[in-house]
Amino acid sequence: MKLLKNLLKSPMFVIGASIFLLTLLIALVGPLFYKITTARVGAQYDAPTAKFILGMDDLGRDYVSLLLLGLRSSLFVGFLAGVIATTIGTLIGIYGGFRGGVVDDILNMVTNLFVVIPSFVVLILISASFSEGRSLTLIGVIIGMTTWTWSARAVRAQSAALKSKDHISLAKLNGDNTLRVLLVHILPYIFSYVFMVFILQVSSGILSEAAISMIGLGPMDTVSLGTILNQAKNTGALGDGIWWAFIPATVVITLIVFALYLINTSMEGVFNPRLRK
Amino acid sequence: MLKQYPTLRFVLMRAGWYFLTFLVAVTINFFLPRLGKNNPVDIIMGKAATGLSNEDARKKEEKYLQEFGLAKVGKDGQLLRDAEGKPMKAGRLEQFGNYIKMCLMGDLGTSFQKYPKKVVDVIKEAVPWTIALQLPTILFGWIVGNILGALAAYRRGVFDKVFFPFALILSSFPFFVFGMLLVYYFAVLLPWFPAMGGYANSVMPSFSMAFFSSAAYHYVLPFFSIFLILAGGQAIGMRSMGIYELGTDYIKYAKWLGLKEGKILTYLFRNAMLPQITGLALSLGTMIGGALITEMIFSYPGLGMAMLTAIQNNDYPMIQGCTLIVTVSVLIANFTVDILIGFLDPRVKAGLQMGKGV
Amino acid sequence: MAIFEVDKLSLHYLTRFGQKIHAVTDVSFTMEQGEILGIAGESGCGKSTLVNGLMGLFIPPLYPTSGDVRVGGESLMNRSPEDVRANILSRKVSMIPQGAFNALNPTRKVKDIAADVMAAHIKGVDKKQIYERLKERFDLFGMDTNKVLNSHPIQLTAGERQRSVIGISTLLNPQMVIADEPTSALDVTTQKVVIKMIFDLLEKGIFSTMIFITHELPLLRHVANNIAIMYAGEIVEKGTAEQVVFDPRHPYTKALMGAMLSAEPGQKQRKPTAIEGAPPNLANPITGCRFAERCPQAKPECKQNKQEIRIVGDRQVRCDYAE
Repeated sequence: MKLLKNLLKSPMFVIGASIFLLTLLIALVGPLFYKITTARVGAQYDAPTAKFILGMDDLGRDYVSLLLLGLRSSLFVGFLAGVIATTIGTLIGIYGGFRGGVVDDILNMVTNLFVVIPSFVVLILISASFSEGRSLTLIGVIIGMTTWTWSARAVRAQSAALKSKDHISLAKLNGDNTLRVLLVHILPYIFSYVFMVFILQVSSGILSEAAISMIGLGPMDTVSLGTILNQAKNTGALGDGIWWAFIPATVVITLIVFALYLINTSMEGVFNPRLRK
Repeated sequence: MLKQYPTLRFVLMRAGWYFLTFLVAVTINFFLPRLGKNNPVDIIMGKAATGLSNEDARKKEEKYLQEFGLAKVGKDGQLLRDAEGKPMKAGRLEQFGNYIKMCLMGDLGTSFQKYPKKVVDVIKEAVPWTIALQLPTILFGWIVGNILGALAAYRRGVFDKVFFPFALILSSFPFFVFGMLLVYYFAVLLPWFPAMGGYANSVMPSFSMAFFSSAAYHYVLPFFSIFLILAGGQAIGMRSMGIYELGTDYIKYAKWLGLKEGKILTYLFRNAMLPQITGLALSLGTMIGGALITEMIFSYPGLGMAMLTAIQNNDYPMIQGCTLIVTVSVLIANFTVDILIGFLDPRVKAGLQMGKGV
Repeated sequence: MAIFEVDKLSLHYLTRFGQKIHAVTDVSFTMEQGEILGIAGESGCGKSTLVNGLMGLFIPPLYPTSGDVRVGGESLMNRSPEDVRANILSRKVSMIPQGAFNALNPTRKVKDIAADVMAAHIKGVDKKQIYERLKERFDLFGMDTNKVLNSHPIQLTAGERQRSVIGISTLLNPQMVIADEPTSALDVTTQKVVIKMIFDLLEKGIFSTMIFITHELPLLRHVANNIAIMYAGEIVEKGTAEQVVFDPRHPYTKALMGAMLSAEPGQKQRKPTAIEGAPPNLANPITGCRFAERCPQAKPECKQNKQEIRIVGDRQVRCDYAE
């Protein structure tokens, strides 16, 4: 597709996409190449050695294994949250923007409500209420359901701008009902935009998970990048200079988020010619 | 009548909307933590009842039930009892009613972990630290970031080519990541700054030089970990806006008219700033949240730390109290920015409609 | 003495790759007091570039190649940008841009924008004087002066905005006014009001000469005294309005007039014809006539021989074979 070719011309996109795909690859097939063990294999906070290149955690577990597991969890939550948030946001945005009028006003009010009430507060409250049974999926769902406002706004703006375009009026004149118009005429147009929004939601989902896990409200049955950081903080590894307790996880999170951000910015540069200079 | 005073009408409409939001927030704040099945009193009794006789334990439980608004209370202030003499538990709505009553009286409940300390007291101690850290950081970060961004947009050239990628990288760091990195590099590897706390353990809070200098010393790292990211993000945004405005017709016309360069720059800056202020309104919640997380990393004695310890100890009233305060602060801040935008941008005042304001 | 003289003006752009695009080549004309010259041509013929050049506004990547422009005898070339800004723009030569709603700073009141113009060119005038002068001038426009001056652009109608722009552009009584499609985005009634205002100002001596750029040829006939047709950066025909519209000699002008739908008496039975093809790429050096590719009367020599301006039938035509 011509779009893809243009994207590939942008160095930002290539760098971002490669980094992200690499991490995805490592997360998916890494366990096939590296034996993951969560058993105790060393002493508390053993320094890195040739065999276990990232050292041990507080309970003597191999950090490389933990990171791999954590990466998978975080990516999973990020995707789940991203999908949910983008879906909700797009549906609300596209419908409100297209219909306009009272429907739009109501949807706008609801969106604004969610915008102004800080999502992390809601996140904390919900997570805190589940003092047991917090799983990755639950966290992903909660994050998705509280962070959709951004995509709702963005999509609504696009949808509202589109609805006055001629081919939409033509479709309406032809008697297409709203759903059909939305699906067949508007959605393909804004698809690239929705995709961009999705990327940002995934990245925000990964960050939210890391944040919420870091303060202790994360998943209770699995390892995630955030829980690794939580442990590092709780055991005071931060102050003791035990860098392998938190630097690797930090680096991974930052890399992923940065890669996604690069992808998004480069896409914006390609889709929005006004920023091209 | 009100149509004669568009400004007043604007302020009142926004205030009304924010009040509505506040009501929703309080409701959410109450009901969300109760989604799970936990009964806070059971949790606390687990700890508090050790070593007590059955009778004493029962009395204590009743006292807690009453204090936490979980039991039905009769008109005489005594617990209502059922046929077996056990106190009747209040239904959810009744609990909500109790909660509202207590809030209006300025009582946000009693902290579990610091029992019998009141939630408001704990918050009162923590809030000054949070404000001291967040207010200057957010303000300066926003101002400096925007100025740099505008400069980058206007000058372009070498400054822009160096500055832009740098700001891009800075702005994409998550707050807590950056905080951790700063602690590691500047507090552990190079012991220039303290790694945690708001002030040294040896110093007591007082109006003394020793205290203030200690506090200032502990202020540096948390400040920068928020400030740099914020400034980077604002700079990026402002730069895009600046570039966009530079290409607009009215700037071209201003040049054609022979207006002085300084004047054109003010046109540019003022107009590019408006969407930035709108952006500020939208991201205030995130910023405050990020700053709170930074507090947690640095064990800075503000609201963030209070929330963290509350979470770790399942201290529900404390969690609730903190989130309520945070939400209210975000609402107030948003409201202020909204009004500001209304005053600065005539297009907003001209097109005021409820729900489309933000 | 001619108020405005353009003498073999050539302008070029420098692209990012160092290529020179010759946007305007050898344009010459003179204008007398009270004259309105219309310039017409298709998109991309160099009108907008010419306008910048006529104002002395050479902002990179636009550069003057050669030639001269003189207002009231003074040359606009070889001046520093600050000199052009302070002395030429708005004072000697002024521009009325296309699309007035976007031309006014949306967050500034009309009176403040106008005051900015005055403050930028006149030293030591205080606010009170400025506003009085503004009121005086705007009173001539037939609008509710107080309302218009104190409003933001968004509160005004399109017609009010366009007239405000005209007012602001002519505030300092420039000798030459260049109007770039001033009526394009307006409805017919508002167009008439704006045209009337322009004539009023001309009559009152607020400005002396005007260049009216548009692609609407019927409009030009009613407004302009003389018309110059531009194609690919050159003037291909110049004569009085009557001559150019009703009796065009250059093949391009003929094609343009033929492409017009006109309700003029005597024109109704003519079928409109389209001109095929597109203007040439001005980055490459061009030999011969620039219109040769599309000209219905082209001869093989046209592509080789550079066409100079000849006088045919009392007007200037750039075609060796026109008669």
